[in-house]
Amino acid sequence: MTTIEYRPAPPPVNFGSLTTATGTAPPVAADVTYERILDARSEPQNWLTYYGAYDGQRYSPLDQVDTENVTQLKLAWVFSFAPQGLHAGQSTYAFENCPIVVDGVMYASGWDGWVWALDARTGQLLWQYKHAIPFDTSLCCGNVNRGVAVANGKVFVCTLNAHVLALDATTGACIWDVTSGDVRAGESLTIAPLVVKDRVVVGSSGGEFGVRGHLDAYDMETGERVWRCYTIPKPGEPGSETWPADGDAWARGGGNCWITGTFDPDTNLLYWGTGNPAPDFDGEVRPGDNLHTDSVIAVDADTGEIRWHYQCTPHDLWDYDSNMECILFEQDGRKLLAHFDKNGYCFVLDRTNGERVNIFPFVDRITWGEITPDGQVTPRIYPDKEGEEVHFYPGPAGAKEWTHASYSPKTGLFYVPVQDIGATVARRRREFKESIPYWGAAVVVDAEDMAGSVSAFDATGQEVWRWRNDLPMCASTLATGGDLVFAGTPSGQFVALDARTGELLWQFNCGSGHHSSPSTYSVDGKQYIAVPVGWGAWVEGFLPGMMGGPHGQAMMVFSLPDGIDSSGGR
Amino acid sequence: MTTLTPDRSEMIRRFGLDKQNDATLGRMLATGNIAQADEGPDGRMSAVVRIVPDQLVWDPSILVLPHGGELDIEFVNDDQNTHCALVPSNGDSQWIWLPNYTRGTVHVTLGGPGYYWFSSNVGNDEGRGLIGAIVVMGDVPASARLDRPPQPRP
Repeated sequence: MTTIEYRPAPPPVNFGSLTTATGTAPPVAADVTYERILDARSEPQNWLTYYGAYDGQRYSPLDQVDTENVTQLKLAWVFSFAPQGLHAGQSTYAFENCPIVVDGVMYASGWDGWVWALDARTGQLLWQYKHAIPFDTSLCCGNVNRGVAVANGKVFVCTLNAHVLALDATTGACIWDVTSGDVRAGESLTIAPLVVKDRVVVGSSGGEFGVRGHLDAYDMETGERVWRCYTIPKPGEPGSETWPADGDAWARGGGNCWITGTFDPDTNLLYWGTGNPAPDFDGEVRPGDNLHTDSVIAVDADTGEIRWHYQCTPHDLWDYDSNMECILFEQDGRKLLAHFDKNGYCFVLDRTNGERVNIFPFVDRITWGEITPDGQVTPRIYPDKEGEEVHFYPGPAGAKEWTHASYSPKTGLFYVPVQDIGATVARRRREFKESIPYWGAAVVVDAEDMAGSVSAFDATGQEVWRWRNDLPMCASTLATGGDLVFAGTPSGQFVALDARTGELLWQFNCGSGHHSSPSTYSVDGKQYIAVPVGWGAWVEGFLPGMMGGPHGQAMMVFSLPDGIDSSGGR
Repeated sequence: MTTLTPDRSEMIRRFGLDKQNDATLGRMLATGNIAQADEGPDGRMSAVVRIVPDQLVWDPSILVLPHGGELDIEFVNDDQNTHCALVPSNGDSQWIWLPNYTRGTVHVTLGGPGYYWFSSNVGNDEGRGLIGAIVVMGDVPASARLDRPPQPRP
């Protein structure tokens, strides 16, 4: 018998070393301070924070690409990425990112724990970080991550297994890693962090699994948690009277903060949207208004205390999260915010005190109920009797999902990606068990008779124009100083609209549907528009008619060809 | 109707699901052996994972860790073909060539509970059976748990 002689295998390597990554990025993030983020719009070459600036307007003053020359917009580069091996949510991953750009370096996150630094001019991969994500993480809505924050030489990112990380912005090496949530309870993190002062603010996901939602602030340098704000009060705390006095309904109440908030340094308040109550559709087990679910909450940035709240859908029975952005703007000397809610209404509030200023509908079909301009809520169609189907508009993905509206201070208009699609829901009670979906219903979202648009509204609720699309619009809009509005469609078209008229000026087929947030920046005086392309996530919730649409995984970046004068004609 | 219960192992054997090119073309995933990693006094864990000749299966194919943390896996390729191992780890996945009759050690860090796939990501080694799972038991730190009464689990 021959004895086998074993030899040493070649040494193991980081898988990322088998790519074209250079391994380092220029130290541009070292000088990104709170003060710079406060004044982000004064450096339009960069996109320093999730919404471009703390006000959430998703507006850039860059105007090199304008209504006259946008027809000549061309693909500048593509960063394409595909997963290796099996990963969580193999059928639901999507590229929901909003790229951050600092002085020629783009920082982006993808599904399943990926973070990349790219040369913003060429798309060259500089470094990548990969967090190991458990295959069996509880994910209601796909394997997604919405972005990173950058400050003080670090890149901050959340992971699906509920960790918050600080990475070295020049190498991608992990500086600190804290566990923020409990995956065994069904918690995860999908949010893009927000840096405020010396803190990193993140909110949890897991409302479909009956967790107790919270917003957390971590010390930027150490990762130590500075405060935690639970959105659902414990018995005896303010708001607890809106939950049953007996039992654990409050402890499973949801109200998660899974979308980035906005911040006003003058009020020192964070404006954050909260998610649905749990169970989503079975209200009988949680009688009351269920604060602070489906609300805009104003949170003291220093202490994490809720200063005021406005609940958009009291005692929600339709899965109408209010997580989506609060856009800060001024009108007639008042400090206001605008919040386009899943329930089909826009809420304009005084952001100093939460006082209601205006409420108006922004989608054609609203049948679940009615909210009057003075804030009176009247439910009309909702799952009530066990097993009895009801059909209502908007469906549980809302008239606008989490994807963001934008606001141009030049035009004074909000540009809203609208989903007009209904759903059939029957209440189906179930027991609560940790980490198991806790909807309390059978849900089928329509796959026909639907529509979408980018709709432009002024703050009074006047619809100024509407660009119609056959399919619901499921991606964030971007407004620019070139009087353009960019938006991506579920079929893959990336379109540029005239911000004043809604006229379609340009489009490009990106090959996969859009469910992300484009941004714009410039390098060496040249403006670029970047859009992460990658259909997926909760498609069965917001557009089941496109369940078969191709997944994508590319950062696509556009610019004018060299030699095009920004004042050139069409 | 025949089901795979109550004696799952026997049914897998009877149908030939635990072999190459018997019932299936390759080998059904997660039908191999199960083992627990050893734990050192410092909490660092270690295990040996082999590739079974002509079976394209990791042995063990399910490796159980008592908790998250640092893990050393010595891979041994007993097969007469070249394979590799791609193993998830915080920071970057680790990748190692495994030519015929070689052994090599991979160091990985896994942060918390759940299970993680590893594989030989060449050809269709994965489809033929060379996908294994690393199971991390335990709970997240107390500081990360929700402030609420204990809740029922499935």
